[in-house]
Amino acid sequence: MIAKIRALLPVCLILLVLAGCGSTTTMEDPTIPAPQTEKIPVVVALRIPEEFNNFVHEESILGKESWTINLGRSNASFFEQLFGYLFTSLTVIGPDDDARDIQFDALIEPSIDGFEFSVPTQSQTEAFAVWIRYRLRVFDREGNNASNWTVSAYGKSEKQGMNGSKALQRAALLAMRDAAALIIMQMDKATQISALANGGLAPSAEEPVQVVVDSESDQDLDSADDDFGVFVIGGIEDDSE
Amino acid sequence: MTQNNPPRSAGLVAVSAALVLFSSGCVTSRVEDARENVTGLKEGESVVIMAKSYHQGNETEAGYISCIEDALGRGSQGLRVIPRQQFVDSLFPWFEPRTAPAETKGLTKLMDRPGVADIVKDMGVRYIVWLDGDTETVAQGGSLSCAAGPGGGGCFGFAWWQKDADYEASVWDLEGYEAAGTVTADVSGTSFLPALVVPIPLIARTQSAACKGLAQQLKAFIVQ
Repeated sequence: MIAKIRALLPVCLILLVLAGCGSTTTMEDPTIPAPQTEKIPVVVALRIPEEFNNFVHEESILGKESWTINLGRSNASFFEQLFGYLFTSLTVIGPDDDARDIQFDALIEPSIDGFEFSVPTQSQTEAFAVWIRYRLRVFDREGNNASNWTVSAYGKSEKQGMNGSKALQRAALLAMRDAAALIIMQMDKATQISALANGGLAPSAEEPVQVVVDSESDQDLDSADDDFGVFVIGGIEDDSE
Repeated sequence: MTQNNPPRSAGLVAVSAALVLFSSGCVTSRVEDARENVTGLKEGESVVIMAKSYHQGNETEAGYISCIEDALGRGSQGLRVIPRQQFVDSLFPWFEPRTAPAETKGLTKLMDRPGVADIVKDMGVRYIVWLDGDTETVAQGGSLSCAAGPGGGGCFGFAWWQKDADYEASVWDLEGYEAAGTVTADVSGTSFLPALVVPIPLIARTQSAACKGLAQQLKAFIVQ
């Protein structure tokens, strides 16, 4: 028995080194402050997708550590708060609800296109960083796709004074706030959602607008026929709200 | 012989403790200001300390910002400092890393937005101080090794490292929507860690010196 244990010990040690240590962070529901902007006068239905009820992402660093972040319902809570502040009326519906049962000017379906994070051992800094790429699909009351907008957000939090789990949570929260800031400033400009108010329909049901927001510069505005790029940093030169 | 050992050991420990407590590495610092406009602070007016956006590559540490906030607000001549998170939340989303104005020319337009000027007035914020810069290790060297066994352990060797703390504080006056000037702190500190059985750290508190120097100069700059 002892001989067997002795034989297995090196194998176990190698596996332990390869597996590294694991950390799991569970995100609490974020709180988005009430924005100092005027509401967009549109009656909106927000469809929360199934993935927003339990989104889990894992990053593994070979031989070192693995980090798992469980966003839980935080994305659902984030969009419910944000659109509640942004539009004059908001109705939240679930993934299986029939949108035809309710009255709305526009229906928004958010989803997560991408989620990444880096930890100090990867970035060789003292900071945790989180990148989130949301996609917002906007439909008119007839179900026509009016707009398709991707929003890239970034949050960074130092480890200083916090444990790694708290710092990662804070970075994710800051990324959500970053997304909120961009959506508040650019929502109407990027999706022209206010045109759907009072029975307005999408300009062309056959050719929905593909909106790519958050490319590195405004030069990308001309790069594709149906693409529209906006990235705002360091100021509020544009007039949109 | 054995009777003499305890006092000698106690003396050694006391000397070591004193060295650790009272010794530090070398720090050189230079703090300067460049004034563009007249400043001053009336009763009820306050300042808010912000970090320039990390979207633009700024790495100013949260601990350094807190240190400046504390240092400015401390003492009988302390300034009234509004906590930055309270300020940012109250004016959401206009002072987020993505949206915060990078230059004073954006202030007029920002203040014209609904509710913004009223909130700033209610909080009594007269100056926004934007911090830029960080502390980083620029050089290090030496060799130190430690070993432990059943009979005890110890370290032997010598290690050193140099840290540079470069910070700039840009002061914006919200009364005239203009830049009041800048205060800069350039601090360099070298720490040493000699070890002969017991390591004796001689730590240069570079960031702390940069905080103290910048806060002192900033207070004088704002109050005049």
